[in-house]
Amino acid sequence: MNIFQLFKAELGAIFTNPALLLTVFGGVFFYSFLYPLPYASQVPREQKVVVVNLDDSQLSRRLVRMVDATPQVKIQGKANSLAQAKEQMITQKLAGILVIPENFYRDLLQGKRPTLSFAGDASYFLVFGTVLEGMSMAGMTLSAEVKITQLLMSGQPMALAKQQYNAVTLGLHALFNETGGYVNYVIPAVFVLILHQTLIMGMGILGGSENEVFREGETRYWQTASPWALLLVRSTIFFIIYTLLSLYYYGPAYVFYDIPRLAALGDLALLNLVFLLSVSFLGICLGTILPRRELATLIVLLTSMPMVFACGFIWPTSAIPMFINTPMQLIPAVPAIKAFILLNQMGACFQQILPQVIHLTILAALYGTTALVLLKWRKCRTEGVQHL
Amino acid sequence: MMAAKTTMIKKIMAKRPSEWRLLVKDPWLLSLVTWLPPLLFFMIYAIFSQGMARNLPVGVVDLDHSKLSRSLIRYYDASPTISITGNYPSTLQGAKAMRGGEIYGLVVISADTQKNATLGRSPKVEAFYNSQFLLIGKQVKSAILQAHATAVAKIDTLKNLSLHTKVLGQAIAEAVPVGTQATPLFNSNNNYAQFLVSAIIPALWQIFIVMATLLSMSAELRRDGLAEWLKDRPVRALIEKMAPYSLIFWLQGIVFWLTMYVVIGWPMHGHLGFLIGCQLITVIACQCAGALIFFLSRDAARGLGIAAAYCAPGLAFMGVTFPATDMTLLARIWRSLMPVSHYIDIQIAQVNYGAAPVLCLPQLRSLLLFIIPGILVCFLAVRISHKYLQTQEAL
Repeated sequence: MNIFQLFKAELGAIFTNPALLLTVFGGVFFYSFLYPLPYASQVPREQKVVVVNLDDSQLSRRLVRMVDATPQVKIQGKANSLAQAKEQMITQKLAGILVIPENFYRDLLQGKRPTLSFAGDASYFLVFGTVLEGMSMAGMTLSAEVKITQLLMSGQPMALAKQQYNAVTLGLHALFNETGGYVNYVIPAVFVLILHQTLIMGMGILGGSENEVFREGETRYWQTASPWALLLVRSTIFFIIYTLLSLYYYGPAYVFYDIPRLAALGDLALLNLVFLLSVSFLGICLGTILPRRELATLIVLLTSMPMVFACGFIWPTSAIPMFINTPMQLIPAVPAIKAFILLNQMGACFQQILPQVIHLTILAALYGTTALVLLKWRKCRTEGVQHL
Repeated sequence: MMAAKTTMIKKIMAKRPSEWRLLVKDPWLLSLVTWLPPLLFFMIYAIFSQGMARNLPVGVVDLDHSKLSRSLIRYYDASPTISITGNYPSTLQGAKAMRGGEIYGLVVISADTQKNATLGRSPKVEAFYNSQFLLIGKQVKSAILQAHATAVAKIDTLKNLSLHTKVLGQAIAEAVPVGTQATPLFNSNNNYAQFLVSAIIPALWQIFIVMATLLSMSAELRRDGLAEWLKDRPVRALIEKMAPYSLIFWLQGIVFWLTMYVVIGWPMHGHLGFLIGCQLITVIACQCAGALIFFLSRDAARGLGIAAAYCAPGLAFMGVTFPATDMTLLARIWRSLMPVSHYIDIQIAQVNYGAAPVLCLPQLRSLLLFIIPGILVCFLAVRISHKYLQTQEAL
């Protein structure tokens, strides 16, 4: 059997396997809509808050209006006591409570430094952070206004007072994902993960189907082909399919979700090459050892969550214990997610992702060799069966 | 005729090995219901076990080299969340380190900062944080903000003390006229482990239950086919198949929750009995959903593929990381199709708020609605069994 016949036979095996086609093509397209779906609105806004105004002065009412005016917070209602506010918060599912203390205005005038209290539901971190941001923004604005008034009262001209209310001001800027959108945060990582997982599933389904056929005692092309040729042909076909699918992800899908694409095409292609190769080889390894085709899906599904949380974009790698972090480095997605984000979202140059590229190359060599050994072993086994 | 009938009855009555025996013989299924769930749950807990991010690397570009700039840097470094790891000679180099992911934040102190501060021109310190890593970026941001506020308040207080005010309290009040105090309710020390792990584990639990349901049913497909399994008692066969797993996963649920709220000691304010009852309903709801996927696909690989699409994004839709109220209608519909998203509402209401069980009735009702896929499964099973009996009759 020459290499062209093998190529044709492989293509036939892939495109007549419904489970494989559903996973690879169906999965990649369906997931590209499903995963961004919950984050379509990007940032949480107008979180509902209840206010307890124990002061009820003109200034405190102004503060309430200022809080309401922030994009993050919406004042849903008023309560007369903290207990009542807490009850309202639980029954109406509100995000937080703003407490303006008694004699707020008087204390402020007398220079006694009254304290505003914000309480937010920290069961939901993103909501808590949003509410806190909105409330402290309003609080800071009020603080600045009061300081300017004090400076004015002490005889400074308005222009100078405006400049001097703070010794050193701070300008805080978000980089790379300026709006703090959730789609831009999650999707670049998840898309790499989807490509990784569906590729392994596809390879696993193909290999698992072969093993099922083998147990039934049939002889097919892959039992006679040389392991070298099989490895080469199979990874080439999947490489071509996944290059096309990656083009869809990093191209139209990113444009659709308005996700930045800072990487140069050449750099992206080079990273994609080592990434897809290492994943393909890992998939072939799994495919040769899994007895049934559905088991690849099972393994992939169960490893997804630990992988997402251990690859460093949600939780800093430095905070993850060594005994989790070290074995995780064997999974191509872990360095790949980091490299793709650095290159495409943060605009790193290729030298800066070189450690990850080398890491992926080593993994490709490791899994490539293992795949070859396993394919040879499987061939020996089938030949042993035939000799009997 | 008579003989044919007796063989048929014999065939129908033939003793089937119990589900427990089948389970022990299938190593994959056995792993899925025994050691894998605790292992994965432990891994997730271990990843977040530190609870809070500490000493996140932040760089600084000090173009002023003054007493003020150095003291500001010391204040930033003193924050437990961040740690000043790099001192870059220019903004360009600092930005490059940011792009390379070496640092999560960069503080730029421009030249003449101290001079301008002394002259009362209120200089500005520019700080950047990486919001591509949103969760980490937010922590860096609030750490810089807090550290800066502390630094400025101290500088202002000292200035006030040295200029005119003689009382410390008054000097502080002049520096910061309105104090603010933020209280995180229900997770009082902003613990990430408590926040994320208590949501990830139910999401994983749902995956395990759905997968085990599909695998246990596809084992029948491999043995003698669905018809031979369901025979003339489809509903009983279904219940006999699912009940052992309901029990195992329910017990697992109880053990994991005891681990989180008793052994680790995270606060739990609600009714334990009610929560455990809801867990059983959640397990059965997940099984019904998994069984429906299986009966619609009737193929192990395709079924598992569909089940993966169904429950893998569970966590994203649960509404813990991103609020459900800010999701689009389509996302909310998909969310409501997963039992675990109703369960997590009950869990948060019970564990965190200590809400009365009555308040959880809407979610409980949604969970009970998963009886619909259960009924559909029974209907499909009965149809298969009818066909089986007809072919038997024809023989």
